[in-house]
Amino acid sequence: MTRYQVGRNSKKTLLAIFLGLFVVAQVFPLLWVASYSLQKSGDLFGPELFKLPVNPVWNNYVRAWFDGKIPQYLTNTLLVVIPSVTLSTVLSFSIAYACTRMQWKLRPVAWFIITIGLTIPIHTTLLPNFIWYNFFGLIDTRIGLIISYVAFSISFNAIIFSGLLAGLPFSMEESAFLDGAKYRHILPSIIAPMAATGFATVGVQTFLNHWNEFIMANTYLMSEAKRTLPFSIIRFQGQYSSDYAVQFACMTLVALPPLLLYFIFNRWIVAGITAGAVKG
Amino acid sequence: MKNLFSDKKTIALLSVPSIIIIAFAILAPLVVSLYFSFMEWSGFGAVTFIGMDNYRQLVLHDGTFYRALLNTFLLMLVTIFLQNPFAFVIAAILTKLKDATSRFLRTIYFIPATLSLVVVTKLWVSIFNPSYGFLNKLLQGIGFQNMQIAWLSNPKTALGSVIWIMVWQGFGWALLFYYSGLMTVPKELEEAAKVDGANKFQLYTKIIVPYMLPVIQSVIVIDVISSLKQMEMVYLSTEGGPGDLTQFIAVYLYQKAFRYSEYGYGNAISVIFVILAVFLTIFIQRIFRERSAGKKRVGA
Repeated sequence: MTRYQVGRNSKKTLLAIFLGLFVVAQVFPLLWVASYSLQKSGDLFGPELFKLPVNPVWNNYVRAWFDGKIPQYLTNTLLVVIPSVTLSTVLSFSIAYACTRMQWKLRPVAWFIITIGLTIPIHTTLLPNFIWYNFFGLIDTRIGLIISYVAFSISFNAIIFSGLLAGLPFSMEESAFLDGAKYRHILPSIIAPMAATGFATVGVQTFLNHWNEFIMANTYLMSEAKRTLPFSIIRFQGQYSSDYAVQFACMTLVALPPLLLYFIFNRWIVAGITAGAVKG
Repeated sequence: MKNLFSDKKTIALLSVPSIIIIAFAILAPLVVSLYFSFMEWSGFGAVTFIGMDNYRQLVLHDGTFYRALLNTFLLMLVTIFLQNPFAFVIAAILTKLKDATSRFLRTIYFIPATLSLVVVTKLWVSIFNPSYGFLNKLLQGIGFQNMQIAWLSNPKTALGSVIWIMVWQGFGWALLFYYSGLMTVPKELEEAAKVDGANKFQLYTKIIVPYMLPVIQSVIVIDVISSLKQMEMVYLSTEGGPGDLTQFIAVYLYQKAFRYSEYGYGNAISVIFVILAVFLTIFIQRIFRERSAGKKRVGA
């Protein structure tokens, strides 16, 4: 082995260690929680640094599922997230179409209003909405939460759609018009399929965001019967404060669906983020 | 044909719903907030007009508010000067690896970014826990016996720990932005630099970083805005404490309104917060725009 090769190999090893350390840093906390979620709470206080579940205590998950009221919170989450994702996707596609492909005087104003949603922090609407939504009877309703979710996701989604739509040739609509087609046919059957990647990106991304959302749900929903998934974790910490293993099981259960979604739709999530970064 | 692209009915149908929703759920609340920022109200009973008193108190006498601004600023510094360079270096390494390895590592590194803030926060609260947390056990394992630091409530470690959680989750985003930026650097640029005898270090400092400047700038804009918007992690871990050492603006306005029943005052913080967010966004974008415009002029 020449000296050059030795240098190269040790450099490669160093690089592998460096990258490996980052893998550990990003994944270990999750593994730690997942591993102790399958043990007895007492095991957490053992002297060893890390212990794999040799005799997995699956009962922790059974208890997290039922005592954490996960079926109820899950239903609540879906009742909010399915409408909010559908609405946000359709509305942002529509406004992006109107603002990138159609000609009208107030277009710059409309686009300004749309993009302003990216700058205004969600948290500045929490206090006033408490009064404002209450005035319309929207406090402690799913509709109130859905409206806020849609409002805050349109901006980013419309920007992604507008990037895709701007690149299409105008002849697409023109030839359809000549054949006598109307907008209500052209948009869903000609333009929307051309923006299919946009729908995938926007759909998955918005779903993840709304699934994970906490602070608006915490503020606008008061009754226990309507609360969403993140509350199972918080509820557990209050009621079973010393039952760490079950708490960990609950955390794992809540984290799992977004993780699976991420692994399945990885490509579209990444495409969306990249598009967002390029647009700034 | 032209008038089909300006068909008023279609335009209205497509654009009005989005604009109404944004006006209703984002813009109107800002007006409500502005109104209540001039009032004193506990959430019940009489609403009293007190003019600029809330703002005067906030700007002139409120140490907690400035503490929150300082913490936001520290978070920005840590993100921009520690997290970003690390993310950039790793992204650069990833572009040189085999496709499969690179894709695998990118997938892993981005995992924390997909988790909800509640899960991430509770995860780290457990790791930082003084009696069973992993961190203290690790320190004990490498020789620091009797290590029982309460990371999140010790005044010396609380802010650092909270910032660590934020930076940890944000890392995947920064990495992904830089990686996708680096993939757009033309291969010819690198080859030309090698022909000119540039070493690897020079290649990055003289060629690639300048080429990537627009990407770096937009990542910094995103960092500044997201530092300003931090809330849930603090709210679910330290609640701003011990004292106000880990306070952030959004947590503070929330606590003022819902815990201390100073609804008017909370709204005054809210209004200042919006102004700050809008101003900072415009300000940074302008700096960057002027800088790149200046460069173009020099180049021409």
